[in-house]
Amino acid sequence: MPIHEKSLIRPENLIEHKDLFIDGIDVSGHWSTFINSRALTDYDESMQEEIAALPGGENIHRCWQCGSCTNACTVNALNPDFNPRYWIYLIRNGMKQELLLDKDIVWQCVSCNKCTYACPRDVNPEGVMKATAHWLELKGHTEKKPSMIFDEGFSQQIIETGKIEDGLVIRQFFARTGQKLAQNWLVAMAIGLAKRLPVAMGIKMGFAAVFHPRTRGWSRARAAIKDYVHEREAANRKALGLPTGEDGR
Amino acid sequence: MSKPVLVVGGGPAGLSAAHALASAGREVVLVEKADRLGGAPILSGYARLVPSHEWARDAIGGMVDRVATNPLVKVHTNTTVATFEGDPGAFRATLKDGTSLDVGSAILCTGFTHFDSLNKPEWGFGTYEDVVTTTQVEQMLSTGSGIKCPSDGRAPDRVAILLCVGSRDRQIGREWCSKVCCTVSANLAMEIRQALPNCNVYIYYMDIRTFGLYEGEFYWASQEEYKVRYIKARIAEVTSDGKRLIVKGEDTLVKRPITIPFDMVVHAIGMDPNVDNMTLSAVFGVKLQKYGYIDRASTYSQMSGSSRPGVFVAGAALGPETIDDSIAQGQSAAMAALAQASLEIREAAE
Repeated sequence: MPIHEKSLIRPENLIEHKDLFIDGIDVSGHWSTFINSRALTDYDESMQEEIAALPGGENIHRCWQCGSCTNACTVNALNPDFNPRYWIYLIRNGMKQELLLDKDIVWQCVSCNKCTYACPRDVNPEGVMKATAHWLELKGHTEKKPSMIFDEGFSQQIIETGKIEDGLVIRQFFARTGQKLAQNWLVAMAIGLAKRLPVAMGIKMGFAAVFHPRTRGWSRARAAIKDYVHEREAANRKALGLPTGEDGR
Repeated sequence: MSKPVLVVGGGPAGLSAAHALASAGREVVLVEKADRLGGAPILSGYARLVPSHEWARDAIGGMVDRVATNPLVKVHTNTTVATFEGDPGAFRATLKDGTSLDVGSAILCTGFTHFDSLNKPEWGFGTYEDVVTTTQVEQMLSTGSGIKCPSDGRAPDRVAILLCVGSRDRQIGREWCSKVCCTVSANLAMEIRQALPNCNVYIYYMDIRTFGLYEGEFYWASQEEYKVRYIKARIAEVTSDGKRLIVKGEDTLVKRPITIPFDMVVHAIGMDPNVDNMTLSAVFGVKLQKYGYIDRASTYSQMSGSSRPGVFVAGAALGPETIDDSIAQGQSAAMAALAQASLEIREAAE
C-alpha cells in the first residue's frame, strides 16, 4: 500500500506559524499541509512489558509481524482499521500516541479466536486485544461509555443476587446516564406488556421488582466472585504500577 | 605410495580435509599464510560458535591440535604457495619460503575475507568509536573484556545490530547473502542480553535468513527467550548527537522515519571473497566466478572440483559458508582427492 500523504494530515498534526518567512516569502498562518515531523525519535520499552503483565498479553514479544492475525480477523473484514498486527507493533515499540488514535475500536474484538489458531508463533493476539483494552481502561484512556455503565449495573446486580431484574437494570441505566425513564419506546412496551401479559406472570414480575429475591445459597457464590474480581483487578493494577484501591478501582 | 596432498589454508575446511586425509593414511602438506592454524574462528577471535555454542578456541582449537600432532601432516605456517605446476598425480609446488613439494593433488581451503565496514561510511564505522563489527563483539566476548562502548568503556543501555553490512548491496558490488550473519547476530544479541540483562538489543533487518534448524534455536529463541527486538528497516545513516549514536532510517512496517539514539551500533559484516583470490587464481590456474570466489567445476556431478583437474576446493573459498558446512566440504574434498589418487593407481596397473 502506498503512503497516502493526505491521510497523514491530521488536525492535531497541523502546524501554524505566526511569523514565518522562507526565502523572503511570507508563509505565516495556516497552510493545511504543514505537519509535525512523523519521525520516531525514541522507543519506549516499558509499554510491551505493561501489556505482557496483563492476562492474555504474555506472549506479545513473540510477534514477528506476519499479519496472520489481521488476515484471519473477523472484525478486520468489516473494518480495515481494526488491525491487531499493527497494534501489536505499536505496543512493542512504545508508540502510545499512535495506539491511542484507535482506542475506540480496540475493544471491538469479538473473541472469535481465529487469530489464535492462525498465529504461527502462539502470540495469542485475542489475548493481547483483551490485555490492550484493559490497559486502555486502567490507564484512564477510555472514558465511560453508556455501554460500560450498562455493563457495570448489570454485572453488579448478578454479583449481588445471582439474578437479573430487568426493571431495575433499565431504571438504573437511565438514572446513571442522566436520561429520563419515560422513553417513548419504553412506555409503549410497558403498555403492551400490561395488556397482554398473563396475570400470574405480572404478579411474579411485580414481586421481583419489589423484593429483589436472590438465588438460593447465593451468598457463598457472591463472596467467591467478589474475591476473584477484586483479586484480578488488584493484580492488573499492580502489574501497571497503579495504586490498588479498596474496591480495586 | 602416492604423493601427499597439498592443503592450502588452515581454517575449518583445511583442518577437516587434512584430518580426513591423514585418517585414511595419506600424507598431507598443510600450508597456512598466518603464523598459526585455525582460520577465521581463531585468527579473528570468535567467541561461542553457531550452532554448538562451544567456544571457538575449544572447538576449532581441538581441530588444530588434532592436525598439528598428526605425524602424517606436515604444517608450513607463515608462507604461501608461489608456484603450482604439473598434472593430476604429479604436481610440483614451491612455497614462498623456497620449499619445493611434489604432490598428487591440491585442496584450496583459502576461505574468505571479512567485509571492511569502511566501505559503507554512511553507517559510521571509522567515524564513531562506538560503531563496531560483529567480529569486535565476538572479541569482547572471547577475551572476557565484556560488552563495553569503546569510546568510554560504559556498558551500553541500547545496542543496534545492522544486518547485511557488505552483503546484498549492488552499490558496493556485493550481490550475495553472506549466509551466517543473521544467525550470528541473533546469537550475539542473546549473548549481549545474557551479559547485560538491562541492555535492549535491536536488530535492523531486510529479511531474516536463519535457515534450517537455526530458525528455532537462534531467531525464535532470541525473540522469545531473550526479547531481542527485530525492526524491518535498512538503516540510512548512523550519526551522533555528541552523546549517543543516532540511527536513521525508515521503519517500513509503520511507514515512518526513525531517528533513534543508541549507545552502540554493531555491523553484521559479510563475507567477501578472499582478498588473495586473484593471486590464488593465477598461481593454481583456477577460474573465479563472477563475484570473485573460486569457481566450481560442477554443482552435482563433481563434488569439490575446481576448474582445474586435480585441484579441489572446499569451504568459504567457494562462497559464504558456515563453519560446519566448511568442515563437511573439507571432508568431501579429501574424499575427492583420495578417489583421484586411487584412480591413478588403477590406471598405472592396467
